[in-house]
This record gives sequence, structure tokens and C-alpha cells, in this order.
Amino acid sequence: MTTTQTSPAPARARLSEWWQRRWVRIAAVVLVALIALGAPLNLTQYAVYQVTMMAAFAVAVLGLNIIMGYGGQVSLGQAAFLGLGAYVSAYGVTHGWNIVLVFVAACLVPAVVGWLIALAAARLRGLAIAMVTITLPIVGIPLARRFDEVTGGSGGLTVSFMQAPEWTGLATDQWRYYVVLAVTVAFFLLARNFLRGRMGRALAIVRDNESVALAMGVSPYRYKVLAFTVSALYGGCAGFLYLVGVQYVSPETLSFATSINILAAMVIGGSASILGSLLGGVYYVLVPFVAGQVNPSRAAMYSGIILLVILFVLPGGLTSLPRALRRLRRRRDDGPGTRSTAAAGPADDGGTQAEASSQTERQQR
Amino acid sequence: MERFVQLAVDGLATGSIYALLALAIVLVHRATGLINFAQGSMAVFSTYVAFAFVQSGLPVWLAIVCAVVGSFVFGAFVERVVIRRFEGGSHDVAVVVTVGLFVLLAGLSGTIWSYNHREFPSLFPLESVSVGGAHVGLRNLGTIVVTILVMGLLQLLFLKTKLGLALRAVSGAPTSAALSGIPVGRMLMIGWGLAAALGAVGGALVAPKLFLTPSMLDFVLVYALAAAILGGLDSPVGAVVAAWFIGVAENLAGGYIPFIGDDLKIAVPMALMFLILVIRPQGLFGRKQVVRV
Amino acid sequence: MTARSPLLELTDVTASYGRIQVLDGVSLSLEDGGAVGILGANGAGKTTTLRAISGMVRTGGSLTFDGRSLRGLRPDQVARLGIAHVPEGRGTLGHLSVRENLLVGAYQRKDRSGVAEDIDRCLDLFPNLADRVSAPAAGLSGGEQQMLAVARGMMAKPRLLLLDEPSLGLAPTTAATVYESIGRLRKETAVSMLVVEQNANLAFTLVDSATVLETGRSVLSGPRDELMGRDEIRRAYLGS
Repeated sequence: MTTTQTSPAPARARLSEWWQRRWVRIAAVVLVALIALGAPLNLTQYAVYQVTMMAAFAVAVLGLNIIMGYGGQVSLGQAAFLGLGAYVSAYGVTHGWNIVLVFVAACLVPAVVGWLIALAAARLRGLAIAMVTITLPIVGIPLARRFDEVTGGSGGLTVSFMQAPEWTGLATDQWRYYVVLAVTVAFFLLARNFLRGRMGRALAIVRDNESVALAMGVSPYRYKVLAFTVSALYGGCAGFLYLVGVQYVSPETLSFATSINILAAMVIGGSASILGSLLGGVYYVLVPFVAGQVNPSRAAMYSGIILLVILFVLPGGLTSLPRALRRLRRRRDDGPGTRSTAAAGPADDGGTQAEASSQTERQQR
Repeated sequence: MERFVQLAVDGLATGSIYALLALAIVLVHRATGLINFAQGSMAVFSTYVAFAFVQSGLPVWLAIVCAVVGSFVFGAFVERVVIRRFEGGSHDVAVVVTVGLFVLLAGLSGTIWSYNHREFPSLFPLESVSVGGAHVGLRNLGTIVVTILVMGLLQLLFLKTKLGLALRAVSGAPTSAALSGIPVGRMLMIGWGLAAALGAVGGALVAPKLFLTPSMLDFVLVYALAAAILGGLDSPVGAVVAAWFIGVAENLAGGYIPFIGDDLKIAVPMALMFLILVIRPQGLFGRKQVVRV
Repeated sequence: MTARSPLLELTDVTASYGRIQVLDGVSLSLEDGGAVGILGANGAGKTTTLRAISGMVRTGGSLTFDGRSLRGLRPDQVARLGIAHVPEGRGTLGHLSVRENLLVGAYQRKDRSGVAEDIDRCLDLFPNLADRVSAPAAGLSGGEQQMLAVARGMMAKPRLLLLDEPSLGLAPTTAATVYESIGRLRKETAVSMLVVEQNANLAFTLVDSATVLETGRSVLSGPRDELMGRDEIRRAYLGS
């Protein structure tokens, strides 16, 4: 079939070979860890704050990935769990609770809410779950505004907690960064284990074909409830981290717009990917900031353009970059004329390709 | 009794706006299998264009007609240039592309016309009529009537014309439609164009009441989405009925139950919807999904 | 007899789905008014050959219809040239009614009264379809859907009819009836046909000659008597 010329690949081969070696990967992780730990000591306060927020939203995106990317369900309410976690934290902090208790409550209250919702909604097919999750921000915002003794109403709640302890000698923003970093790393590792183990595999089967899962004795219902609960828990944790960084929560935090921005960040980072969730968190904070720097009044426009450009070039998200580059190189290597099938395929005609995949996709959802 | 009529008519009017947008969402989903989160900001952008026409001296009705026609072209353009690339692939990605469009168009509207509230002239006079003792706003009535007219026209198009048949053929079986000589790509463009036009009508109808800003239809989009999904996502009739239901239920709840009041009134139809979906997962009018192993 | 150029000619056609190559050199030709079968085992590439003609896969090699090249054309463009493809699995537009399925088939035609007449004639021929003319086509039985699919193709008044496994999933008697109907169609309209079939015996009730495919290549072709006449060929390729 195709005969490849002597490929000019030695440099490339060496790079990917290197990556296979264990010590290279360990060294890379250590390097990243050193950078992460040393960063706040060398960056401005605002930059430290931003990286803190990136971590918080990475946790939120990871939560969404668990139910959507890995679980295959559509959830449009992640912001509601984040907001709920932030509000619970704000409440606990203003009432002088122990900080650990605050954190636990911030994680558990949204988890319980998510669990209850999932119990009812997980039996519903496909987009009905999306529907139910839409109602969360819709109902959440007026609720937050209404019960203003607890939530501070439309104005929101400002808090002041998590000051740096004396013995560390750190500035407050640096201390907060480290706390958020520690929690984020812990939660990412937990997720990694969860997703790579039996649970993760079961989720994948449920996502790909529920009937097959049932036949194999894997209950789609139970795993959907589990995934949704975990995703809500992560949302709540992200809410706590959010409050640590911003020290303020308002009804806007719960909004539908926040939910779809988290969704966008998930897809852009890379669905069903731990690294993608991290990149999603970075994207969530970085892009509006960059767009605002270029031109504050046109920030929204530029954010939209950046999103579209990224997806046009990398529909698989940022984590698909190595794959895309490989495909590009392969095409260049193959060269003109060595392929037996010339490019005279059917001209672009949307729906024809869409039918097969959309039918199967609709059935899966 | 008068209060009931007033609230119900008001609810039907709001519900009609939800219905127009919900119809647009259903149209797009039937044609291309994905949900267009930019439907609202596309509609707002078209309304701004109408606003610009009005500013330049055109009578309101003409400005709206021009904007609707323009939005049809714009919708077709968006499908061909932006969405086409993502149609065969992951739905999540396609949906996020529409999110990007959403943000882009909202930002564009704000950049060109600023984020301040703008006044949009009403098609209908602001007086009220007396219907059985109740005061019913002409604007509300007008909105409902226009919506019903538009729906009627759409039904006519789909059920009685060759183009409508082709559109329906493509949305259910694009490959077979192509094999019979129907240009699928062109039909998709028309579907998106129609959806955009529907949104433009909705935007123009509600703008006088809400004041024109780039985020004017953001909450409408969410309710429209809810209505479309409740209706079964592939059923235009279902989406409209659900939308009217949401509009009326929230208004009645807000009006009659003091605890709920104006701000929490949306929770009522949402809760009811949740119940309906638990009892009937495919929505009110949707088709049951068959999953083949 | 003057030699006419064939209506349809495939020469060394290749086709692939992504990086998987399915056809690796298929050649056949069909005269105007003729009927040719494409035979071979499962997976030999028979369906892909029809899809290649209709522009549903990426192709290489030469495909000409009435002198025009078919390469690079979209399915709807190929249909507009006068080729009607009745796909594998019938491709019924299940959500539309029987009448609407026929109307879709006639999409390209401009003569409304002619279309109405043809629909009536079709419903006369197939009373089963007439009974359910306004019901969703998805409710029809396999045999009825097959007849509807063929009728849908014929509504376009095509010059070439591509039939992909008309007997698939049908009981033997139903399949025989379907083939009878198609045979009658051929006599009445003189449409050219390319028929993909796994059941060689059934195919030969309709076609005069056939090409046999094996792993994406045409390995044998010839008139019926020649192919059916030789035992080794029959046993090796035609399963009897």
C-alpha cells in the first residue's frame, strides 16, 4: 500500500521514546511540583490570586468531567454546586465554625443535594437530566436573593478568613494559594484513582452503552447516581476554594452563564481527561483576563473568538494537541502520490455524515 | 376573575416569547442534532439590527421585517461557516462552539451598540382593552397573535410545501434524503436560517418590554431550552405548549401565592416540569428512544 | 450492431473509509437497458461499490456514468444525474408517511400532475402500501418497506437503479415476490439496473450477467450461463 520514504523522524522518535522512560516522567512531575511550590514566592499578588482561582475552577471542571466526560450525562448545573459550596462556606466562616468543618460542610452539603437530585433524575433518559440540572441555577438565584439573612441577598456575602498564620512568614495570598493547591492536588489524585479503577471502567461501559452495561451486571442507575454525587461534591469543594480566593460570594456565582462557561472550559481542556480538567481551569481564568488586557470593552468578543479558534483547530480540546500534531506529521511524511486513494471524496455535506453518528449518539444519551 | 385573566394573558405573552425561541431550538435540533446556545444572542443581535434600521428612519414594522430576513441569511451563514465543521462529531464540542458564538455575538452587540439599555419601539400600542372586565394589554395580545400566526405559517411550510417535506426528510433521514436528490447541506442552512428568523421575531416582540441590552434574552434562552426539552426536543408542538405552560404557570403562581411572589415564581413550573419528566421521561410529546445494543 | 459506450463504467475503483481500504480494484460495465449483478461473500465490498457510485465514500480510479465522471460528486448530485440508489436496509424515511416517502423520491421532478399519476399507479400496483398511505412508513413490514424503497427510487424516473440486497432480512417467499415485482418494473420501464445480492440464484432471475467480488476486487465476470455453468466457480464464489 503506502511506502514511506526514509522518514526524517529520528529527532521526533527520540522525544517520544524519552517520554516512555519512567525517570523522565518522574523528573517532569518533580519539576512541575517545584514550579508550583515556588511560584507564589516569585509572582505578583494578583498573579498568585489568578493561579489560585485556576486551581479552584480546575476542581469544578474535573467535577463536571466526571459526570459528563467520563459519565456521558449532560449536566448544566455545576455552577449551582459551586455556588452552594461557596455559600455554605461563607455561612460557616461568618458563624465562626472550625475551618475543617467548613470545608467538610462545603463538600458534603452539595454532595447530598446532588445525590437526592440524582436519585430522581438518573432514571430519566438523556436530556431530561440536562433539563433537571438547568433548573438548578434557575431556581438557585432567586432563592439566594430571597433568603438574604443567610445569603446576603443580591449583594452577596463578603468574608475574611484564611489569613496566613504567623509562623509561616507568608503573605495571605501566598498562604491561601498553598492551601488551595494542596486541596486541589489531593482531589485530583483522588479522582485519578477513582477513574482508573473499577469505578472508572464501569462508568465508561455505562456511558458507551447502557444496555450492554445492564447485561454485564453493571447498574447504570447506580453509577449515574454515584458519578453525579461525586461531581456535586467536587463542585462544592471548588466553591470552598473559590471563596478562599475571592472572599466573596453572590447569586451571580450560581448563574447559568457560569455553568456553561465551566462546560466550555471542560471541552476546551479536553473531555474525559484529568489533564484536560486542569487545562480547563487555566483556560477559565486566563482567557477572560487576556481578552480584558487586550481591550477591556471588547473582552467578551475576544473571549468568544478565542474559544472558536481553539475548537476549530483542535476539536478534541487542548489535550488532543499531540495527537493532532502526529496526524499532521504523518500526512506530511506520506507525501503526495504515495497514497492509493486520492482525495476525491464526497464534497462536504454536513448531514450525511451526521446521520450515523448522531443516531447512535442520540441513542446513547 | 379579572385578575386571573390578566395574569393568564400576561403569562401567555411571556410564554409566547419562550415559545418562539423554543421553536428555534427544536428546529435546529431536528435538523442538525445539536442545541444552539447562541439562539438568544443571535436573536438579540438581529433585534439590534432592527433597532439600527429604526434609528435610520424606517417604520418599526419594516425595520423588523428587514431584520428578520437578514437574520435568516445570518443563520444560514452560521450553519455553513461555523457549525458545519462540527456536525459529524461530538455533541459536547458542537454545543460549546455555540457557546463561543453566544459570547462572541453578545460581545459584538455590546461593542457596536454599548451595554446601556436602549429603548425599542413597540409594534403595538400601549393601551389596554377590556376583556370581560379584565384589562388586557394590546401589546400582550399582539405578541400572542403574532406568535400563533408564525406557528401557523411554519406548520403550513412543513406540512404543505415541497421545501417543508425536504426539510423534514433531511431531519429524520439525511442519507436517504440525499439519495433522492435533496441537497442536504442547503436544507440545513435553511433550517438554521428559519430558526434565526424565529428568534429575531421573538426578540423584536419582547424588546419594548425588557429594554434592549446584549443580555436581554439570556434568561429567556434558559426557559426556552427547558420548554424545548420538556416538549421532547423534537416536537415543535410540544415545545410551544410547554413554553406557554411555563409562562402561565409562573405568572399564576407569582400572582396568587404571596410567599412565592415575583422572584420565585419560576420555581413553580420548574418543579412541575421535574415531576412531569419523572413520570414521563421522554417529555410531553417526545418519542421514546430505542437503544440498540 | 454498433458498439455503444456503456451507461456505467467502473475501472479499477478503490474506496476507503478513513484509513481502512475496502475496495481495491473493482471493474465492471453496464450497458444502457442492461441488468448486471454484483455477487460475492459478506464483506467482499458489494455494498461499498454501490456507495462509491453514489458518492458516499472516498474513491479512486474511474467511475463514469453516461460519459461523465462521478468522482467527487455528492450523493444528491449523483441522484440528480439520474441514478437512484435503493440502499442496504431500505433507507425508509420512517417518520414520514408512505405517500411522503414517494413524494421525496420524486423531489427532483417538476411535473406535479405526472408525479401524482405515478403515485396513484404505484399504489394500484401495491395495495398494501395503498392501505397505509398516510401512516408512518416505519410501521410497514420488511417486504412492504422494500417495495416502498424501490418505488421511491423509481419515482425519480431514473436511468439507472442501484439495488442493494433487496432480499436482505426477508423470508424466501417475500423475497421472491419482491424480485418478481422488480422484474416487472424492468420490463415496463426499461430502466438499467445494478443489483447487489448475496443469493446468486435469486439475482440471476433478474440480471443477465454479473461481476463477482472478493475482498474488494472484481475477480470474475460474465453472463449468467457462464458463471452458473461451471461447478468450481459456482461452489467457490456463489455458494452452491
